[in-house]
Amino acid sequence: MSGNAITTSTASVKPSELALVFPGMSPSGYPDLAKFIMVSPRARRLREAADRVLGYPLMDKYRTAGEGYSEFSQVAFLISCFALAEWAQEELGIEPDLCSGASFGEKVAIAYAGSLSFSDAVRLTVQLARCEEAYFSLEYRDVITQSVARTPEQSLREILADMAAKGEWYDISCFVDEDFFMVSMREQSLERFNAAVRATGGIPLHVMRPPMHSSAFSALRQRIADSVLTNFRFADPRLPIVADQDGAVVDTAEGVQSLLLNSIVRPVNWPDTLRSMRERGVTKIYIAGPDALFGRVGCTTRNFDVVTVNQRMALRPKRSLRYAERKPL
Amino acid sequence: MWDEQFETLVRSHLPFLEADEELVGDLNLREFGLDSLGVVDLLVSLEETYGVRLLDEDLKMDTFAAPLVLWATLFRLINSTT
Repeated sequence: MSGNAITTSTASVKPSELALVFPGMSPSGYPDLAKFIMVSPRARRLREAADRVLGYPLMDKYRTAGEGYSEFSQVAFLISCFALAEWAQEELGIEPDLCSGASFGEKVAIAYAGSLSFSDAVRLTVQLARCEEAYFSLEYRDVITQSVARTPEQSLREILADMAAKGEWYDISCFVDEDFFMVSMREQSLERFNAAVRATGGIPLHVMRPPMHSSAFSALRQRIADSVLTNFRFADPRLPIVADQDGAVVDTAEGVQSLLLNSIVRPVNWPDTLRSMRERGVTKIYIAGPDALFGRVGCTTRNFDVVTVNQRMALRPKRSLRYAERKPL
Repeated sequence: MWDEQFETLVRSHLPFLEADEELVGDLNLREFGLDSLGVVDLLVSLEETYGVRLLDEDLKMDTFAAPLVLWATLFRLINSTT
């Protein structure tokens, strides 16, 4: 992990109570997000801005892209999260002291914190997506990332030690909770790995292609540093960003770029991210976006008052909002 | 057919199934809102309720595809422990 240190603040952080968190991206097909983007005035305005940046009508491309992580679905996810954050700010009156983003959510956090404009965040999302697609079309084509739940770390470590003894490569890409992980490995190891997980009572969930967050991808990190990030001028964030790799507080333009680059080669550590927020006095978290994971796992819900701001909540009539904030939809 | 506890537990994990809609055996649970974390939560609830533990081949996502498949798995485990 050395050599990838995030530039962190040495200044004391004022006591915080409220954090705005952007979720990681799950495969988003057209029906998942289209209605919200078409109906919500905020999302529609952002989509029009995205269309101007992209030079093509996003929703036409997104409609035919299918479920997955295409550049179109990534931009649609960005728009949804950003619009929901704006909605929460304006309609619920929240004023976050900190923000954070898990995995893909980093990009939304960076835009929300003002380190990049929304338009530049769209450009960045597309350029990163294309760079990653080009890289994984040639490199590590047989590597996937498998998520597993109900698997205590000790059990996982024993399974991974057995893989190492057999000469099989692996890397933990995401620490989601104390018994929930994402592990990258070669596809040929997957069947035996999953069988070992099931034998301990754990349950393998999703396989992600392409893989993510591994020290094996240092060449991709370098490529992004040289050919993508140089196209953007980052500003110091107006709002501190809590890094999803280790909970460090990022409050400089350089730190934001390190955050993006480290995300390629270092695992997401969600418990450490939450611990950092807790240490800074955060007691309440608003999750802005279609969250299928990070706002729902035990380490989040046990330690914070969590409000999920999703598409259904934002499209509800105003009179039911008070109720909606109490009861996640 | 399954018992009332099973019906109640499964229904509580299906946000898109209306109260007056029937839980049929081949219902596509994913389409009615049983996502990954829902599967994990339902699994724990079923194990606690029926005093069984799913292992190995039973811990595949296919087990949670439809009520009938899930109940057949549970029924086998319940009978093998009694």
